[in-house]
Amino acid sequence: MTKVVGAARRINWAGQAPLITLLVLCIVTSLLTSRFLSPINLTNIFVQSSIMAVIAVGMTFVIIGGGFDLSVGSTVALSGCIAAMAMLKFGIFAGVVSGIAAGAAVGLANGLIVAALKVNPFIATLGSMVLVRGVVYIITGGAPVSGDDGLPGAFVAFGNARLFGIHYLVWVPLVLLIVLSVVMQLTPYGRRVYATGGNREAAYLSGVAVERVIASTYVWCGALAGVAGVMLAARLQSGQPTAGEFYELTAIAAVVLGGASLYGGEGTLYKSVIGVFIMIVLGNGLNLLNVDSYWQRVAVGAVVIAAAAADRLRSRA
Amino acid sequence: MNDIAAGAQNVRKRFGATTALDGVTFEVAAGEIHALVGENGAGKSTLVRVLGGVVAPDEGAVTIGGREYRLASPHDAIAAGIVAIPQELQLVPALSVAENLALGDLPACRLFGVDVFVDRARMRAEAQTHLAMFDFAPDADLPVRHLSFAEQQILAIAKALRRRARVLILDEPTAALENREVEQLFAVLRRLQANGTAIIYVSHRLEEIVQLADRCTVLRDGRVAAVVARGAFNAADLVQAMTGRTAIREATVPATPGGMLLEDVEPRSDAIHLRAGEVLGLAGLLGSATTDVLARFFGLAPRATIARVNNRLRRLSTPIAAIDAGIGFVPPSRKLGLVMNQSVYDNIVLPSLGLQRLGRGAGRRRYRRLVSELMEFLDIRPRQPEMKVSALSGGNQQKVILAKWLLRRVDMLLLDEPTQGVDIAAKAKIHALLRDFAARGGGVLLSSSDFSELAGLCDAVLALRHADIVARIDRTEVLSEERIHAAVA
Repeated sequence: MTKVVGAARRINWAGQAPLITLLVLCIVTSLLTSRFLSPINLTNIFVQSSIMAVIAVGMTFVIIGGGFDLSVGSTVALSGCIAAMAMLKFGIFAGVVSGIAAGAAVGLANGLIVAALKVNPFIATLGSMVLVRGVVYIITGGAPVSGDDGLPGAFVAFGNARLFGIHYLVWVPLVLLIVLSVVMQLTPYGRRVYATGGNREAAYLSGVAVERVIASTYVWCGALAGVAGVMLAARLQSGQPTAGEFYELTAIAAVVLGGASLYGGEGTLYKSVIGVFIMIVLGNGLNLLNVDSYWQRVAVGAVVIAAAAADRLRSRA
Repeated sequence: MNDIAAGAQNVRKRFGATTALDGVTFEVAAGEIHALVGENGAGKSTLVRVLGGVVAPDEGAVTIGGREYRLASPHDAIAAGIVAIPQELQLVPALSVAENLALGDLPACRLFGVDVFVDRARMRAEAQTHLAMFDFAPDADLPVRHLSFAEQQILAIAKALRRRARVLILDEPTAALENREVEQLFAVLRRLQANGTAIIYVSHRLEEIVQLADRCTVLRDGRVAAVVARGAFNAADLVQAMTGRTAIREATVPATPGGMLLEDVEPRSDAIHLRAGEVLGLAGLLGSATTDVLARFFGLAPRATIARVNNRLRRLSTPIAAIDAGIGFVPPSRKLGLVMNQSVYDNIVLPSLGLQRLGRGAGRRRYRRLVSELMEFLDIRPRQPEMKVSALSGGNQQKVILAKWLLRRVDMLLLDEPTQGVDIAAKAKIHALLRDFAARGGGVLLSSSDFSELAGLCDAVLALRHADIVARIDRTEVLSEERIHAAVA
């Protein structure tokens, strides 16, 4: 017993707040509705979370680097549509690659505007959010991209099939999370991102190429939004020009819920993914409880504000 | 003492596991300048923050004018007549001198019984009469960002004293002032003293305290180590009371300069030649070019400097280029040198990340060992590489910045005010370290507004006036504070 108490003391409870929040949320939801714990519902949550998790991981890069990216939702749509269009002409591989490349290109443009031109990231990515959405409508003419006979079968299967009982869509963030966590925690590059976000001036005076580091975080964010766009296209069996609306808000909320600081320099990739689960489980719970969808928006907005307020209080303490 | 203006009775304050104040009793009388000294971590700033209403004590009481107060915020303290001037001045850079002075109660023109417009003329006139009391007559419409730091300091004091302060608390007010301006500030303080204002004066500069203070309270480890009256103490006594040791003599072994390390190749009026084994000081009045010289060699100037570094011609266009050439820079503010929310370890390895000769193969374990060796060598306390650097005292933070460059194994160190706001023991340690660095064949170029520091530490001092080097004073001649002062003035 004393051992348990001792161990409990050693755990840094404040650092585990996202996980505790998620567990409490799951317990409360499962008590309110028996359907929450059904296998179908749980699978649903994981699949829904998988796409958002990929976006949130990219967003975490930007936020740790001291930035902000509002354009990810539009980038998801752009990548999905370009992937679908390229796939119909040149095959699956070319489609996937060009979808991700489109996302990375948007990220690079954001990164250069923010890092080299020193435009406020909020304004820069607000602009690119609208601009990219416009481009999506121009290239698709506003209609879904699925060709006459639909997207290639193997690609569509990727959106539904499983490996070792787990959806392919869930494997993607799992693998990315492990690889990118190693990048962030153990490589010089990752440590430079943390240092730049924590104190840009000090990092510069320590010989960090801060502009390149900042630009790179946007490239990661864009490329991962591209991956998410391709995943969503597989799931929807088409490139949807309207896809990904408000994804940026969910992703930012998830990252902040996961304990990253909007002032930069702090954050952990896996905790951002826990933040994604909090957002998805919340939405799922409200759905199961038949809460009106208008009220759901109110709830999600309130959570975003609460998460940002908590961030502010944390940094004051 | 007659008429106690303010005091703290048996105050205790704990932060987590550390006891910052352990039963401190402190009093300042009306018309008294009472100095507060102690090493970093001795509890000076906590005591000042308790008196200023920023921090509430766990036990004990604050008295002002004989009444006991529970100060919940700086507002309460100001209302009770205690005004603290922090090291970082709370002025709005974009607003004018007059506006900054009047901020909080701007005079207004009334229209239909409602305050509408700011009465600029009245505000300006009030500012001028008020500032005249301080022998200070700037253009009242000038934005504050155009004032020198010293002028801003006086403005901040003037602002504080618009509201009849009974007690004024000054924290390191002379840290960025040059001698003439220090005199100007002291004159203001003495005038306030004559008017009956009680002044609590926190400083590391013991000579100033000996010169200025009526009494001096020495804090050590959260307790009062001594309270001494004017005439009964000198600087060495204070050091002994603060540290519990006798004053550490500064190392003044002259080095034997070796080959040229850093040399300007373009003809210019502030050309520098730094040899291996040499500690070279830059002396100048505030706002002069000493900082510019350091910034130029670290690639921070708008135009890249071409210099011969270690016998290779280098274009020093960015910090990356400078570091690559073997130059390290210790900036004037620790906030520029450290990523405060990261650990000591992360900060120390930052300039060396990805460096082949340190990393690769040997890997993180080798880094960890090197960092703990450096922490041992520099006596960085506590010896916890995973501790957040923001939790360290100022002196230890400065050592962390030095450790960054020692791990990177630079050949030259450029330092801007390296011991500003650092306590005596850490200052001596940093001086010894710089001498040692030079003795091993490194070159040191430092600027300091503390000329006694330059006189004690350097092999030679370059005196700058505007952007020109007007004199070089070598240790072989007589190198003294007075000589340096005469050269720059």
